[in-house]
Amino acid sequence: MNEDKDLINSARAGDKIAFGKLIRKYEKTIYSFAFKICRDKEKAEEAMQETFINAYRGLKSFSGKSKFSTWLYRIVTNNCLMMHRKKSHEPLISFEDSELLRETGELEVPHWGETPHDAVLNNELKEILDKAIQKLPLEYRIVFVMRDVDGLSTEEVGNTLKLSVPAIKSRLHRARLFLRNELNPYLTK
Amino acid sequence: MKLTDHKKYLLEMCEKVDRDLESPTCRKLREHLEKCPDCAAYYDSLKKTILLYRSYDVHYEGSCCEKVLARLELEQPIKITLPKKSRSKRPRRS
Repeated sequence: MNEDKDLINSARAGDKIAFGKLIRKYEKTIYSFAFKICRDKEKAEEAMQETFINAYRGLKSFSGKSKFSTWLYRIVTNNCLMMHRKKSHEPLISFEDSELLRETGELEVPHWGETPHDAVLNNELKEILDKAIQKLPLEYRIVFVMRDVDGLSTEEVGNTLKLSVPAIKSRLHRARLFLRNELNPYLTK
Repeated sequence: MKLTDHKKYLLEMCEKVDRDLESPTCRKLREHLEKCPDCAAYYDSLKKTILLYRSYDVHYEGSCCEKVLARLELEQPIKITLPKKSRSKRPRRS
């Protein structure tokens, strides 16, 4: 944190080498998050570069009250939202609990097989995961990725998105239900 | 019995799927899962959904540092205006 503070102060004074150190420290995290939202390597790279450009231009407005990484998450989220709104028309999906639970009206819940870990996800499974999450409206996708995949706390997600904790929880639960229902036909034994 | 008849537990599973079921706040849910194979299978699938997405990561091998800095080179350095210091009174020399 203190190291970040020194680098931020130097970068504010125009020291681009210091800003370069900040980029190198956070670029992997920001790229990985952007990919998980956009599900496209080129778009993720574009979102990441724009994020650091925006961050440099906005360094004056960074108050230091939140972590630098939280601030970067906020910027990359906005960039992903803007890119998404420019290029797509989101399908209308009901996100009422009753609708999501109705889809779970299974008489007997099938058991899922063992799921592969880490680097052994095959391309077919990756495609299934991509398709399922792309159906999820972006506002829900962002909460799911921040909280469940990147491991931010509910409060951190709330601060980043400027939403209340109950609003984050509601989006998270619906995203979990939706994704589980989408994957269910492919992953039952 | 339909799983939707267990709506209360479905919503609770959704809320507590990332918590340790051994904790006291999850006692009722844990006891229900031990008795109900359908809810247990559902809970397991919810957990696996999260694990799958967590496993699917893309590593960025290169660095965007040079590209970003090259774009920034074209810009003027950030101007900072420091607040003016108030003149402090110097102690009088005797």
